[in-house]
Amino acid sequence: MCRIAGIINFNWSTEKNQQTVENICHLLKHGGPDDGGIFTSENGALVLGNRRLALVDLSQAGHQPMHYQNRFTITYNGELYNYLELKNQLIQLGHQFSNHTDTEVILAAFAEWNVQAFEKFNGMFAFALFDQTNEMLYVVRDAVGIKPLYYSVKDEQLVFASEVNALKIVDFNWTKNEHWPVFLMAYGHIPEPYTTFKEVSTLHKGSYIKYDLKHRKHSIQSYSFYSFNQDLHVGDNFKSTIRNQIENGVKSQLVADAPVGVFLSGGIDSSILALIADQHKKDGIQSLSIYFNENEYSEKKYQDMVMSKLNGEKHQFLLSKDDFQNHLPQVLQSMDLPSCDGINTWFISKHAKELGLKAVLSGIGADELFGGYPSFQRMSLTRKLSLTPDFLLNIFKKNTKKPFNRIAYLGMEGIKGIYLFMRGHYNVHEIATYLEADEREIWNIINDNPMMGDIKQLPTQNQASWMEFNLYMQNQLLKDADVMSMAHGVEIRVPFLDQALVKTMFSVNANDKFSGKLPKQLLIDSCKDILPEQVWNRPKMGFSFPFSNWMKNNSYLEDLMQDSNKNTKSYYNDFKQGNLHWSQMMSLMIMKTRHEA
Amino acid sequence: MKHKRILFLSLRIFSATGGIEKVCRILGKALFENTFSGNCSLEIYSSHDTMKHSNNNAYFPSDYFSGFSNNRFEFLNAAFFKGLKSDVVILSHINLLPVGWLIKRFSPKTKLVMLAHGIEVWSLPLGIKKKMLNACDEILCVSQFTKDEMIKLHGDVSKKYSVLNNCLDPFLPILSSQNYSIDLRNKYGFTPSDKILFTLTRMDATERYKGYDRVLQAMALLIKEMPDLKYIIGGSYDEIEKKKIDELIYELGLKDNVVITGFISDENLKDYFLMSDVYVMPSYNEGFGIVFIEAMYYGLPVIAGNKDGSVDALLNGKLGTLIDPMDIEALKNTIEDNFELNKKVKVDTDVLMANFGYEVYKEKINWILN
Repeated sequence: MCRIAGIINFNWSTEKNQQTVENICHLLKHGGPDDGGIFTSENGALVLGNRRLALVDLSQAGHQPMHYQNRFTITYNGELYNYLELKNQLIQLGHQFSNHTDTEVILAAFAEWNVQAFEKFNGMFAFALFDQTNEMLYVVRDAVGIKPLYYSVKDEQLVFASEVNALKIVDFNWTKNEHWPVFLMAYGHIPEPYTTFKEVSTLHKGSYIKYDLKHRKHSIQSYSFYSFNQDLHVGDNFKSTIRNQIENGVKSQLVADAPVGVFLSGGIDSSILALIADQHKKDGIQSLSIYFNENEYSEKKYQDMVMSKLNGEKHQFLLSKDDFQNHLPQVLQSMDLPSCDGINTWFISKHAKELGLKAVLSGIGADELFGGYPSFQRMSLTRKLSLTPDFLLNIFKKNTKKPFNRIAYLGMEGIKGIYLFMRGHYNVHEIATYLEADEREIWNIINDNPMMGDIKQLPTQNQASWMEFNLYMQNQLLKDADVMSMAHGVEIRVPFLDQALVKTMFSVNANDKFSGKLPKQLLIDSCKDILPEQVWNRPKMGFSFPFSNWMKNNSYLEDLMQDSNKNTKSYYNDFKQGNLHWSQMMSLMIMKTRHEA
Repeated sequence: MKHKRILFLSLRIFSATGGIEKVCRILGKALFENTFSGNCSLEIYSSHDTMKHSNNNAYFPSDYFSGFSNNRFEFLNAAFFKGLKSDVVILSHINLLPVGWLIKRFSPKTKLVMLAHGIEVWSLPLGIKKKMLNACDEILCVSQFTKDEMIKLHGDVSKKYSVLNNCLDPFLPILSSQNYSIDLRNKYGFTPSDKILFTLTRMDATERYKGYDRVLQAMALLIKEMPDLKYIIGGSYDEIEKKKIDELIYELGLKDNVVITGFISDENLKDYFLMSDVYVMPSYNEGFGIVFIEAMYYGLPVIAGNKDGSVDALLNGKLGTLIDPMDIEALKNTIEDNFELNKKVKVDTDVLMANFGYEVYKEKINWILN
């Protein structure tokens, strides 16, 4: 995994294009500490840049941008898990390889299959591939959207990078997206395709930009996507199918020439990954866990149970109030797009880096696919509630009390209203008050951006799965995971989002998939033989982190809020009195540090 | 695209393999890709398809799709109420005009766009639908010919008509060094020196305007000079028409030179195109003829009629040879010419892609919808 950037600009000199990409890459160095390079096209209008975190073929042979057949050049961020399989096919077709990287396999695959190669790739990636002969640049993002890619196309200029903040350095008149504080407060993050700049968008997952340098035109096309169907039924052997697919996903994601570990929280998902990975690594897998002194939040007991079954090295780290106090400013600084979360990932990635690990497995995706969130139980009732006539829902708009005002979100069209009702961060009244804006204006902004269709033709629990997978996981979890891990030069791998497993879970009949007594019953049943019963059959924990208490007495936060306006101070007081969640306070801190309050 | 709620209404998208369905799939893809901007939402309704029909399609996620399984009432009800809340409603077929008209009546600000393909808009009297045409804000004709026919039959409301030519399916196989399957030539007993003509069409009495019978007559005139000339008629057929054509083949003494294949699946089509030397379809009632541009995509010289939408598909003859479709002698000569190197019209791939590539189509759609 690496960090990538690039530019096409016909008006600037070659030197200026090169300098721009070098500057961007310099800002991305934390995510690619091992090597760096740039490529410039013959006419100087196109420059590609790369910062490399070496995981497969650690030698200089893996240097990027990489070339193939004197025609194709790539700058690539990610991992291709089926690269050996594709490599064999390509060798059969007469292709030759000069190194052991997956990067060269992407190049050869494109040389053979052109854009139809993209949907053959199983992995997480974002890359830019230049075809010198046809003068075409392809900027591509993986089908699940695990790796980020931000771009801007304006006046024939294309610029892209793995992080939005790095684009700031480009000598371009960026305009601030004035809606971003509204998004952050409504969602807790900036939903795709938006960013903090009007001109910069997120490339849609499973799509690519094709830029034709000859005609200076571009188009964005989809090459792959996942959608739900009801084709598969859970029969006798189905649990073993699921188990095999999880095992295959883990096995293929353990492939690396650098050390790989696993984050073990003590929950079902990470425990399954740790136990399976441990079986497939010769000396077991290195596991990393965080625990707290505050017993009500600590999962140490469960971590210990799983660790006792692992052969690999075990590392447990105490995350204390002091650590939190000392590092909070750095956490905020590491953030790319504003987000209300990601603290935990920042700390565990820091420890991974200190242990010398370069990649770590994470359980992201299991809750979304197997039904681990409360939304799976609540969707049916929420849908019924959303049928309430608009004039009644509008009454709730006028009610400034928290839970009532939130109900008004259900008046919004499509799945967006339901998402905000279930997962919304602040209600519209709170947003308008904080930003000193008219409530109608806030409603209009949220209504129109982004526009989403309805998905009510799906079975209700698949609607929850769609919503968690495409909105929450996409916009919050995957972005936080990428940015917070790359801040330390560590790659997070997500085996539950392996192509085969996602495809299968999207095709299982919803009644079968979610019929169990417990949330994620299908996942539990598939792995019951290795998973300690105490882990899957345990009482629910109300809160996962003690951050609220720590933040209440945090000197950095106190200083930050000192010279705030009255609204910020009032919200801060609410927080101290226990009326705001710590993640809501995070959002206010981010706005404050970015001078938005 | 400025903030828009788009509703695309169709009869069938996945449950049939004709040209109109192909256009619907491609348009669905283009509309889906427009949602990436965050500025528009999309719903695609099909009255005849089931939900299952959309499974695993490559064009757009079925999350955007509702199949009503021939339940007309449910379809009309859902389409009407969704239409009222939409900024743009696109009708894939003139048979959907009543629901479009109704939406427009109750929601005049909704932009109503209708696609006009070919014979469906001029072959039958429209009756009340003719009046309903006035409800459309835009009628997208697949060719100048379709547009002219519409104006001729339904009056000159030309400001509403624009031409949106069909385009190449973006999922056509990428042509690489690999050639067609030799097995296919063996299957039909063709030798490497055989010269192969190809027509892909449904063979039924109502589609006889495609001209495969005239190709047979032209072949009969040629067969003595070109005994190795073969003709493949691909596509499904009805038995009555097949019997008629079999008799004609027998009468003309061509039974060793003609193959009627029956249905060819999309996956196998590439091999048929690549195995053939010339694509010939002297049609006189074609709305556009996607098959022409597909044949040219595979590098085949194309012979088409000059009286219908084929003229658009061949770019007024720039991409292939246009002839009077009823003139057997001209057809015979053109076939002959296409086997002579210096007279062959070579397909200019750049021109083909610049006019009928998917990206160009998408650009036009965006321009029209905005």
